[in-house]
Amino acid sequence: MHLHAHSHFSFMDGVSSPAALLERAAAYGMPALALTDHQGLYGAIRHYQAARNSGVKPIIGAEIVLEAVGLDDGVTIEGDVPPDNRLPLSPPVGSGRASASGFHLTLLAKDITGYRNLCRLLARTHVRTGDDPSVVALAELEQCSEGLIGLSGCPCGEAGAAVLAGLPMRSERALRRLERVFSPGDFYVELMHLMTPDSPRYIAALVALAQRIGIPVVATNNVHYLKRPDFRLHDVLASAGARTSLPGPYDRPNGELWLKPAGEMRLLFADVPQACDNTLAIAERCNLDLGLGGFHFPEAEVPAGDDAYSVLSKAAWRGLEQRYRPITPEAVRRLQHELSIIERLGFPEYFLVVKDIVDFAKSRGIRYSGRGSAGDSIVAYLLGITDADPIAHDLLFERFLNPARRQMPDIDIDFDSRRRDEVIAYIYDRFGRDHVAMVGTVNTMTARSAVRTAAKALGHVPEDVNSFSRYLPWVSPHRLPEVLDTYPECRDHPLHKPEHKLLVELATELDHTPMHLGTHLGGFIITREPIESWMPLQWAAKGVVVSQYDKDDIEALGLVKMDILGLRMHSAITDTVRLARERVGEENVPEPFELPHDDPRVYEMIAAADTVGVFQLESSGQRNLAQRLRERDFEDIIAAISLFRPGPLEAEMIVPFIRRRHGIEPVTVPHSAMGEVLRSTYGVIVYQEQVLQVAKAVAGFTLAEADSLRRAMTNGRSRGAMERIREHFIERAGGLGVSREVAEEVFRQLEGFAAYGFCKAHAACFAVVTYASAWLRVHYPAEFTVAILNNEPMGFYSPRLVLDDARRHGIGILPPHINASSAEFTVEQDGGAIRVGLGSLLHMTSRLLEKVAVERSVRPFDDLADFLARTRAEEPAARSLIRVGALDGLGVTDAGRPPTRDEMLALLPEIKAVIARRGVAGDDTLLIAPARARGRVDTGHASGWTPAMRLSAELECLGLAICAHPLDLARADLEHRGITWARDLPSCADRTRVRVAGVRERAQTPRTRSGKRTCFLTMEDPTGLIDAVVFEDILNRFGDVIVKHRTYLVEGTLQNNPERGLALIACRIEPYEVRTGGSGDVRCASLGTPSPDQLHSRMVPAMTSIDVASTMGPA
Amino acid sequence: MGRNREIKAFDPRRPGQPLDLFTATDTKLPVIMEILRSPWIVRASDLIQPASTGMAGKKREREVEVVWDGTRAGPRSFMMEGRHYPVDAVVQSWAAERAWWDPRKRLSRRCYRVLARGGLYDVAYDRLAGRWLLVGVVD
Repeated sequence: MHLHAHSHFSFMDGVSSPAALLERAAAYGMPALALTDHQGLYGAIRHYQAARNSGVKPIIGAEIVLEAVGLDDGVTIEGDVPPDNRLPLSPPVGSGRASASGFHLTLLAKDITGYRNLCRLLARTHVRTGDDPSVVALAELEQCSEGLIGLSGCPCGEAGAAVLAGLPMRSERALRRLERVFSPGDFYVELMHLMTPDSPRYIAALVALAQRIGIPVVATNNVHYLKRPDFRLHDVLASAGARTSLPGPYDRPNGELWLKPAGEMRLLFADVPQACDNTLAIAERCNLDLGLGGFHFPEAEVPAGDDAYSVLSKAAWRGLEQRYRPITPEAVRRLQHELSIIERLGFPEYFLVVKDIVDFAKSRGIRYSGRGSAGDSIVAYLLGITDADPIAHDLLFERFLNPARRQMPDIDIDFDSRRRDEVIAYIYDRFGRDHVAMVGTVNTMTARSAVRTAAKALGHVPEDVNSFSRYLPWVSPHRLPEVLDTYPECRDHPLHKPEHKLLVELATELDHTPMHLGTHLGGFIITREPIESWMPLQWAAKGVVVSQYDKDDIEALGLVKMDILGLRMHSAITDTVRLARERVGEENVPEPFELPHDDPRVYEMIAAADTVGVFQLESSGQRNLAQRLRERDFEDIIAAISLFRPGPLEAEMIVPFIRRRHGIEPVTVPHSAMGEVLRSTYGVIVYQEQVLQVAKAVAGFTLAEADSLRRAMTNGRSRGAMERIREHFIERAGGLGVSREVAEEVFRQLEGFAAYGFCKAHAACFAVVTYASAWLRVHYPAEFTVAILNNEPMGFYSPRLVLDDARRHGIGILPPHINASSAEFTVEQDGGAIRVGLGSLLHMTSRLLEKVAVERSVRPFDDLADFLARTRAEEPAARSLIRVGALDGLGVTDAGRPPTRDEMLALLPEIKAVIARRGVAGDDTLLIAPARARGRVDTGHASGWTPAMRLSAELECLGLAICAHPLDLARADLEHRGITWARDLPSCADRTRVRVAGVRERAQTPRTRSGKRTCFLTMEDPTGLIDAVVFEDILNRFGDVIVKHRTYLVEGTLQNNPERGLALIACRIEPYEVRTGGSGDVRCASLGTPSPDQLHSRMVPAMTSIDVASTMGPA
Repeated sequence: MGRNREIKAFDPRRPGQPLDLFTATDTKLPVIMEILRSPWIVRASDLIQPASTGMAGKKREREVEVVWDGTRAGPRSFMMEGRHYPVDAVVQSWAAERAWWDPRKRLSRRCYRVLARGGLYDVAYDRLAGRWLLVGVVD
């Protein structure tokens, strides 16, 4: 058995997963297996769980980097040692900053004390300060050594490295020093036979030293991979991790670091049999019990004389009085029921902690909303955590907390993303910095990163690495060969060349390999004891302290994890309300979350698929669904949010739902009770809650039993287990007088849909936000658009499209101007127009933005010279401002008119020079510069620029189309080509052959049930949005056009019927370049590949900022 | 001949002098092995350190035929240029994997340093070619 094994959680150094190592160890009949990843316990919990399940004893440990301990007394720094005494071998251990600054040491936890000490040691080492490398100090190790067994380490350990360097005295000093750190008998000299020519003498030297000092020896193999052939991946990872090409930093002479069976290890250590015997002795002494299965809640605030339950129930009853007027017997019964279950399961403290956090947000006016299955709970509703009434929407508590399964509740809360940091700061203050950490998440390789890793290791230059990873979709590495063979955008991919066969092979094998520890979006762990006694912590790249465990590990430990998420829609809603109140008065704009859900204009807008910016309903799929569903009330919004989800889409629930809703097919259910339960969804099981209700109605299950049934159906049980569940269901139904045939049919439907249904509580919580955003869009469209634009990036569409959409709704778009624009977008003309802000302008700086605001408050700017003199604007920013027209109309030239943009651009350097001279020379040079600009061309616009030039500058500098839609410039050409505009499509008959032109907004290729690729292409023309569906055969022919270009002409058959909605089924896609002639030069406003005659070629990056490849592949 | 036998049979030791270290082959072997594996002894050949195959005094590569010994997990004997070399002991073995990413320089071998006919030989199984080679004769 092995006491020194690295899994792939030794980032960029280990190859195999803990589960794979365990499986092999169990197959070899090993009684135990230790996991000793570099500097962390990233895989410890899954190793522990998997080992318990496979009957192998789990040993948790780590290989740490320890400072040098074997130097002569009184010498602490390597550099102080006389050259002869210095270790000539600089060990490249640790990673990043810790490299070459210490020596390896293997630690194993004997028991829970050892485990906690190991966590503490690692946490303190990593978190000590952000800048120090993570090298363990000897003093720290001494403090935390209780319960730990130490092994002297690999040849990168101090004893081993010194032996290899021919410094046996130093090795002996290190061993003697380390022995004193651990309890007597808890330190071993680690022997590794790495099958190099040096190995026998390395081992003999260490054995001799160990015998002299009297320390026992133990055999290990420094396992880094499962089987010998994997050594290639190890070399690749180590090279890429050290940013070198192969053979990598260690230049390993062979591939022997695999999980060898006991017989092979015994053979290697035939001369030192006690080394192998000691592995078993150590394993017997390691008996770690993490006590999984319990719950550990943080401390809730409970006044003296009260307990958590009584505080919770008082708060809930108070909430009942506020939320239900009048209080109904049903609400009272429901509350009593839930409180009793919460008390029985021991969760009152959890609810109080969540309440504490949301109460803080409420007191500061920070907008928030609960999401997820917590919406099923009336207690959460009454405490103000969620906003959807669980009684009104038929939400079932047992879906959230099943009394039959004691499982940690999970309440996720979205906060106004701009003010989320205030909430986080409160959590740290309230529970203490030592008790709170963010949840870590392990980022694994995608096909793209695997190709990059392998290519870098193989020594390819950065340009080649980029070309190899370009156009690869976001899929797992194991799908790489398939992607290269079948995806049209990979048709001419350089990886097809035979010389890259090895690269593709290696990248494919890097499947599931973790790259580094990242930060979970919003997960926080809150503990009662200091968190470092539970898990190691470290700094994440984001500058926050994160756990080395991911959310599943934390759940397994029974700790409280809370998702404090940021939702930009909350910020946008807050902004809209503020702007609207500023314009029409505080009292005239109600709080959107408290509105009754009955405004017909809101439903009309949604049913017309006019939903750009509306929360959850704006995507192309949702707009298509809206045309078919024709939402009429709040329940319909919940249904829409639920139906357009991967599960319901995969189970194809939408078609029967729509057909039955519109009376195209009859509503049929096998049992009348089922019909009653499924009335609102026309007999289709859409919600998970309905599975519970059906089981209750047809077979008399309790809701807790029904939830267990749902979980069993969801978790893919074996055929035998499923058969037993089915028989039980039929038997129970029979007890209620339901015939066997009917019960079988009901069960068949439950089984078919249980795994695909959506949690209605989650949809209901979202629907509250959806309605609020839709209501604001109907009543305050300009404010709503401005708020969306000021909170970008958010939602489905680019800012350009959001602005185009506002223009189509009759809202004026005013160009940015230094005398009118602020940093953000603003509302002007009493809600009739939007003024573009300067904040997102190319090259704009925050200093200049502040300066413009300050100077303008004194007086407006007169002209370019005045602007430059007063703000000292940097030249690139000034150029951008001139080019987008922010200085249009200011000043007068000799010709008695304002200067054109060309004239201003020509003058700019000279004015800057004059201003600079004035400051230095002290003379007051008159700001009159010669007008050497190109002669003015009459373009009919004061700026002197043609629409194409203006648009081009706007796209380049702002990413927006302010003066016109890009395709407006080619209207004549497009009409000549016989295209149909988006606004005319709804009036075209079903199955008409049409040709459209559009700029790509999104291209999505979600996974379909059949496994075929279908691309949903959302385009935009000046009159509206066009949704095209590109099926696999067409995608194979034109997929590369979609990816490599931005503007297309698409031909196809129009689908326009109430059952399927409006969509264009594409059959031909060709790239289109917008060309307009003007004043002798051709302005090419192509939105796709740059062409040589493109004068303003830099508009392309602005337009292609959304890389289509990133949106392709499974959602 | 008679004198030769006489010379060979002559015992130069004085009465009471301790016995020779090596009275027979089977007592000689463990001592040689011990000496060869001793950490404090460095052979001249070890200082040559050719990059590809570990250590060898004289670098020779020629194909040999090897009879495998499963119990010893090493060669039992090998045949080179028509001559049979029974292996007295496997002194050590090591593995070499080099430049696996470069088909022209790639090397994958399992090497055995063996005592045979009084000499020290490095024989290696070339995993790529599937054949045995003599890769070195030491000292």
